[in-house]
Amino acid sequence: MRIVHPTRAIIAFTLFIVTVSVRAQDNNTTIFRDVETKYIFGFTEGSGIGLEGEKEFSLDTEARIGKQGGHYWASETKGEFEFTPNQYVQFEFGPFMSGHRIKDVTDLDNRNQVALGGFFGEIRYQLLDRGQSQPLAVTLSAEPEWRRIDETTGKVVDNYELELKANADLELIQNRLYLGGNLLYEPEATHDPDRLGMGWVKESKGGVSGALSYRVVPDVFVGAEVWYLRHYDGNWFNSYTGDATFVGPTLYVQLGPKMFMTAAWNVQTSGGDVNDPTAKLNLTEFSRQRGKLKVAVEF
Amino acid sequence: MKIFFAITAAVLIAAALATPAQAQETSLSISVKNHRFQPAELHAPANVPITLNVKNLDPTPMEFESVSLRVEKVVTGNSEGVVRLRPLAPGRYNFFDDFHQETNGTLVVR
Repeated sequence: MRIVHPTRAIIAFTLFIVTVSVRAQDNNTTIFRDVETKYIFGFTEGSGIGLEGEKEFSLDTEARIGKQGGHYWASETKGEFEFTPNQYVQFEFGPFMSGHRIKDVTDLDNRNQVALGGFFGEIRYQLLDRGQSQPLAVTLSAEPEWRRIDETTGKVVDNYELELKANADLELIQNRLYLGGNLLYEPEATHDPDRLGMGWVKESKGGVSGALSYRVVPDVFVGAEVWYLRHYDGNWFNSYTGDATFVGPTLYVQLGPKMFMTAAWNVQTSGGDVNDPTAKLNLTEFSRQRGKLKVAVEF
Repeated sequence: MKIFFAITAAVLIAAALATPAQAQETSLSISVKNHRFQPAELHAPANVPITLNVKNLDPTPMEFESVSLRVEKVVTGNSEGVVRLRPLAPGRYNFFDDFHQETNGTLVVR
């Protein structure tokens, strides 16, 4: 039996969903209601924190594809439970599965595995509310994670990460066109990852993103985003090791009153590596491409 | 490791303390009959908490929902529900019945 490549399957599924949604709405309602902006920008997160009383379950897969040579696929799929207890904060938590398919990649062991990757939690606080006189909204988020599988190598590890973000979005055309942006600071620590008695190995990542999302029909947003990421040794941006710029399209589809999907695809367009000054991409800390697919049900 | 726990604890405490002190409250009432809001437009003062009493006069359930108000509340048939809103900036806030999407209304805050 021929096995469909996951990347092609995701692209085909996404195109199918868009076609069905746009056709279904060609002659239907043209009401463009207010929108929850959290998921309309791809990897970039909007300021939305949900509705008080709303609960949501989702499967959220992020994949990193392509390294130096060989074949590389690494993914994490979160089983997320999200709820909004009041009109200011939102909480999320859940486990995630980790998958690795690595063959003949420089400096990485061959691996083909799926395992429980760890647990995460997230709190989001809306700092600045959008209003009639000012179209900007800002939310702060903190996401601690514990990982038992290294996200790059797939080795068993003991890793702690804290993703801190400022999520902002600006309504450029009411209920139709939005500009989003994130600021990222992500320190992490891994206990002796190579079993060499090194204690805690600390690193950090910083980043900034910009995204534009346009609502083509009431239930479909399409857009594009740019991410610039820098990686450092040490928790406090101590020693710069490399950077990367990612660019790609984004998609959000409201599948029904209580169900939606969001997808994004980013390609590394440039990068730098302090250990390889001739490199045009950074494939040590980052992947060639990355993808995201999230399907959520609210209740 | 201590830094992770310290920052996480600080964020949690800040969020817990983040709910603003309650100013004087205003109360509003709205009904739903034959899948129509009555009145379809409500008015409220800016920057005070609002308590909205939603009376569903239809026999079927409705869900009062608004993204800009950040609330959703199911009200079963022939019953009432209370929706509490944070202090709002001046503006127009749309709401609808998520179970009957043609049922729309607006809260005007001045």
